[in-house]
Amino acid sequence: MNKEELIPKLKTIIAPYVQDEEAFKFLSEDTDFVKDLKINSANLVDIILDIEDEFDIRLENEDMENMLDVKSAMQIINTKLDN
Amino acid sequence: MVGNDIVDLAEAKMSSNWQRPRFLEKLFTPNEQQYIKNSNNPFLKVWQLWSMKEAAYKLYTQLNPSRFYSPKSFDCAVQNKNQKVFFKDFECYTQSKVTSNYIISEARLNLFEINSEVIRLNVRHHKSQSKETKSALLSSISRTHQVPFSELKLQKSELGIPTVSFNSEKIKVSISHHGQFGAYAFVHVALPAKGGVSL
Repeated sequence: MNKEELIPKLKTIIAPYVQDEEAFKFLSEDTDFVKDLKINSANLVDIILDIEDEFDIRLENEDMENMLDVKSAMQIINTKLDN
Repeated sequence: MVGNDIVDLAEAKMSSNWQRPRFLEKLFTPNEQQYIKNSNNPFLKVWQLWSMKEAAYKLYTQLNPSRFYSPKSFDCAVQNKNQKVFFKDFECYTQSKVTSNYIISEARLNLFEINSEVIRLNVRHHKSQSKETKSALLSSISRTHQVPFSELKLQKSELGIPTVSFNSEKIKVSISHHGQFGAYAFVHVALPAKGGVSL
């Protein structure tokens, strides 16, 4: 799935957990969930579960390790979708 | 070195649902899931284990500067009051304090008594909460070590790991805030007196 399709889907998923709305407005590939959007680490798991539901994929512990920014999330989703 | 983590129970109730499908399996080992299942209050057990993992992660990343999300790999062992967390070849002790409003956990390499200070935050916005907690930490270090507040500098590394420096001395600290609460801990050190020369 390309960037233009994936980013809006991701935005919808992460919106409820964002604590810095200003940074959210300027979301890009380089946006960090915790450093930029100030998402609580306890909610990262919700984002992971929401991604699993939305794309009908399952993420393992190794996949979750890098799920700290938009770019890594996109890479992991695409890898899973290709399998 | 010290790592700590606070969970505001009202906030946890409101912004997380530990009962959603696959939530527990994602964060907790089979052994931890058993602790939760056997607990009289599974909600509290979930958040206690979570805060132990976070505190241990913060301690681990001070020793091994890095950043990752792998809560399930931080394996909590709870026996009576003794709590330990294991991650690869790293292990540490943790202590937790549970009140009706929050759970605070602290992690250190050796056996210790928990000494994180908890404050009720006056502000709501994430950035201001972070500021308020940091300021409380610096005030406390200033009082404990009898050094001027203005000479304490809090810095965060690229990886988000905080340290307070006073002249050339580095003080190991940990800060956490969640919902209405902030918490901080620091390692007491011998600081040279004001005006003293530190080599």
